[in-house]
Amino acid sequence: MSSAAISTQERPSRELSGPVLGMVLFVASEAMFFAAFFGGYYTIRANAKVWPPPGIPHLKIDIATILTVILVLSSVMVQISLRSIRAGEQRRATLFLGITIALGVTFLALQLYDYSQLGFGVKDGTFGTLFYVMTGIHMAHVFGGVVFLALVFGQMSAGLLSPANHDPLAAGAIYWDFVDVIWLLLFTTFYLLTPR
Amino acid sequence: MSPSVCPPRARRPAAALARVGLAVGASVAFSGCAQQGISIKSHDVHILYLVIMALAAPVVIGVYAALAWCIVRYRKRDDQPAPQTTGRGRSLAVFFAIPVVIIAILFPFGEATLLAVEQSEIPQVQIRVEGFQWEWTFLYLNEGIFVSGKTLVRPAVMVLPVDEPVQITLTSRDVIHSFFVPALLFKRDAIPGRTSSFQFTPSKLGTYQSQCAEFCGLYHSKMTFEVRVVSSADYQAWIAQQRQALNSITCSANGSDLSLVAHNISWNAFCLAVPAGTPFTLHITNQDNGIEHNFSIYDSFFEKKQYFTSPRITGVASETLTGPPLPPGHYYFQCDVHGPAMSGAFIVQ
Amino acid sequence: MAVTEAPSTAVAPGPERGRLLDWLTTTDHKKIGLLYLISSFSFFVVGGIFALLMRTELARPGTQIFHPHAYNQLFTLHGTLMIFLVIFPLLAGFGNYFVPLQIGALDMAFPRINALSFWLLPVGGLTILSGLFAKGGAAAAGWTGYPPLSEQLGTGQDLWIAGLIIVGTASILGGINFIVTILRMRAPGMTMMRMPVFTWSILATSLLVILAAPVLTAGLIMLFADRRLGTVFFDPTQGGVVLLWQHVFWFFGHPEVYMLILGAWGIVTEIIAVFSGKPIFSYRGVVLSFLLITALSFSVWAHHMFATGAVELPFFSVTTELISVPTGVLFFIWLGTMWKGKLRFEPPMLFALGFIAMFLIGGINGVWAASPAMDFAIHDTYWVVAHLHYVLFGGTIFGVVAAMYYWFPKMTGRMLSRKLGIWQFWIQLIGFNLTFFPMHILGLRGMPRRIADYAPDRGWSFLNLVATVGAFIIAIAMILFFVNIFLTLRKPRTAPDDPWGANTLEWATSSPPPAHNFDRLPPIRSDRPVYDLRTAGGEGS
Repeated sequence: MSSAAISTQERPSRELSGPVLGMVLFVASEAMFFAAFFGGYYTIRANAKVWPPPGIPHLKIDIATILTVILVLSSVMVQISLRSIRAGEQRRATLFLGITIALGVTFLALQLYDYSQLGFGVKDGTFGTLFYVMTGIHMAHVFGGVVFLALVFGQMSAGLLSPANHDPLAAGAIYWDFVDVIWLLLFTTFYLLTPR
Repeated sequence: MSPSVCPPRARRPAAALARVGLAVGASVAFSGCAQQGISIKSHDVHILYLVIMALAAPVVIGVYAALAWCIVRYRKRDDQPAPQTTGRGRSLAVFFAIPVVIIAILFPFGEATLLAVEQSEIPQVQIRVEGFQWEWTFLYLNEGIFVSGKTLVRPAVMVLPVDEPVQITLTSRDVIHSFFVPALLFKRDAIPGRTSSFQFTPSKLGTYQSQCAEFCGLYHSKMTFEVRVVSSADYQAWIAQQRQALNSITCSANGSDLSLVAHNISWNAFCLAVPAGTPFTLHITNQDNGIEHNFSIYDSFFEKKQYFTSPRITGVASETLTGPPLPPGHYYFQCDVHGPAMSGAFIVQ
Repeated sequence: MAVTEAPSTAVAPGPERGRLLDWLTTTDHKKIGLLYLISSFSFFVVGGIFALLMRTELARPGTQIFHPHAYNQLFTLHGTLMIFLVIFPLLAGFGNYFVPLQIGALDMAFPRINALSFWLLPVGGLTILSGLFAKGGAAAAGWTGYPPLSEQLGTGQDLWIAGLIIVGTASILGGINFIVTILRMRAPGMTMMRMPVFTWSILATSLLVILAAPVLTAGLIMLFADRRLGTVFFDPTQGGVVLLWQHVFWFFGHPEVYMLILGAWGIVTEIIAVFSGKPIFSYRGVVLSFLLITALSFSVWAHHMFATGAVELPFFSVTTELISVPTGVLFFIWLGTMWKGKLRFEPPMLFALGFIAMFLIGGINGVWAASPAMDFAIHDTYWVVAHLHYVLFGGTIFGVVAAMYYWFPKMTGRMLSRKLGIWQFWIQLIGFNLTFFPMHILGLRGMPRRIADYAPDRGWSFLNLVATVGAFIIAIAMILFFVNIFLTLRKPRTAPDDPWGANTLEWATSSPPPAHNFDRLPPIRSDRPVYDLRTAGGEGS
């Protein structure tokens, strides 16, 4: 008898499957990636006598709050989709996944609009550096997440996912929730913890 | 099973003994190589070196001896299986305990040495050291003079009086450098945007070769300097000489059109003069390819008051600047990128 | 890639073009493992030639061959290549080949990502090297790339950044692959505490990779942004913090050096046990040490920054000294394993013993640097060059050579020449010590690192000459090694399943293994299933 990976049926149902475990590990590596940038933020801020530095207009919190609501809502939506596929409700799962993707695209569009309204750019000193690099890299991750979920949407529409086999959605949901958490940390850092 | 092939009998013990001999010889050689240095603090560091050697040598000799023993004594000589023993928890506890004991001795001693090295007292000599690509400027704050090296031409020389505490405030004008004096068993990094302070008291006359120890680009290997420890009297004489040299730089105004050339991180003139009360023009040529220079006028190298500053010019390029009218006096000009290393007297008559 | 020289596993050889395509598109972990070894040894030759060029320049004071700008590129590329494209991928290559075999799995968890991880490596390495053709030359800020210097240089530095981002991404994907494979694909009976210690070392390495490598990627992005996008992360004139780079870099950099040694510890521990004819003295102790070191390695980074005057000296001194505890435990376990054993001095064992002797020196000479007051004297001098080469060459490379002699029969079905191996061992040992031991003394005499030249009146000339002679002796040993490999590959495949009388699962299949790894797995009831099979049956396989 040849050796084989333990198949899905044999594995204890409590354990994460290979692909989902892989996504958890990937998210852990991404958390360290963002942590380095947050470390950079707090280092530069601790070194500055005045924060935000002079010349930077105060960040208005209105659009950013809408962005936060959009993203938190989308995390709820993707979790509902996940629960639906586990309960066998294919159409409901597909619907809520579609809403998640739509919210993600809205987030991207609205953030680009917000960038155009801010009144400072990436070359405007330390604040411009940190704000645009960190939110920009986050945006790239949102974009990646939208693409990933769109691919899952395609699989789901083709009927490829089932209550027993829906690893792509489970993995996608973990990634999406992570991206949401990073946004919450960015929102807190740049909007809530920055003196006005 | 693999064919059992035995290496020549003579080799094994020879190898083992060679290893132990190497360890012992090395320890002896090492102890001889480390210098004590020329200050009390460097003496303390030297003692720390010996303490670490005293802790490390038994470990190395012990492990090598055990290795040698195993190699000689436990060579496979027959086909009987070896006893399949493993260690119990107690062995593991001992294995963890031994290095912990060594560290329990090492750490406090290291801390004590560090405190000794960081100790400070009222300094007699205060020098601001600026590293730049690729030499050093030493500004003697109390005496009002400075000394600068010239890249690839002449190392900077720091003259110090013996047995007097010296305080150094260290920074860099461009990239990270490191102020390393092997005779003091000490170095500190020179970081742009930061100043770092430390003290030492040199207690031995002599000239000590030193150099930059943080890779800083093209001529890092040439960024040398000297620390020259002399008697108190010789130090005072040297200060007087430097002061005299700086004050004696003088020239006469010949109209209000000046020209200056930057070449190899050096100006082609150390004295410029203009008549008082009228604007002057300065034609600058930067011949250093890819390197920035500028031109500024201050009261002195203390830079307490700035009278003029130009934007930076990247070589190879030329610019014509217009300077303001100035009251008569003895001013100081420099390239801000390289500081006093590229400076001179600006006389307004 | 020297594909035509590469040994194939048990796939029927087809027409030449079919074979080439097979190697280019394979997702078989064994072939990918071999590709890693081929790529790594190729970059090793390049990095080694750079080293010989530097040593030739430094043999005498005065500039003989290399203008400083060329020399600065040489040591930058030497360090970068050796660390990222040689040492780490050698260990990853052995991991790829042997972890699935050692745990009784068919392949890695994600075979296609596995192939991607490999191919990104030569792409990244060639990107870095292509800087040699850029205007202004290749990267020349050292392998540590400190700004502001690394912001001054030309396109070669951008290519260095890009290459490292590519290589870093590849290693993170590989790390995820290893962890999922080890956690999810073990054969029935192969519990975590029965896994070979080499597999444990790859698990520990992979944990370090996924948590530390992303930090380097972040730093590289910051550096690129400062260079080309107008940001000011490290620009002190605009509020940036120069030392931020060092904190980010070394937070990655210290775990990195453990990524470069753990695999070798796993290999050497196993080889010592096999060639002593005894079990590992304390299997639990080895696993515990690996895990402690993995955790502690995140707490020591600022010991690389003692001389800045900007970091908490006592804290990092304590953590640095503490990490020597689990490391020391490993030495005691190795000695305990040999104690009262029946030692066979085949080449794998010779190189493993060489590892112990050399790595000991490398670990011990680091202790001087762990005490800040002492470090102020030896930081950034040739003492550190001695330290890093004793651990990375005296340590890992000796371990890798041991692994090659040990596992070559399994991978290719042929035994490397024992006679050439013994010659290589002695020449390598002598050459290595001749090169790097004098560097301790040079450091104590004040010779800084990364200098293209030195003055004749410093008292450094003779020892530099000795070191250069040693370097060429190392080169002879390496040539012997490659000659051994090439000659052996021409011999017929006659190696048995288990030529060494070993313990772990890879020896329970043919040499080389079939594409599906095992025809039949032995029962797994301990951490030495092949030993159990051999002694229960009463005779050899």
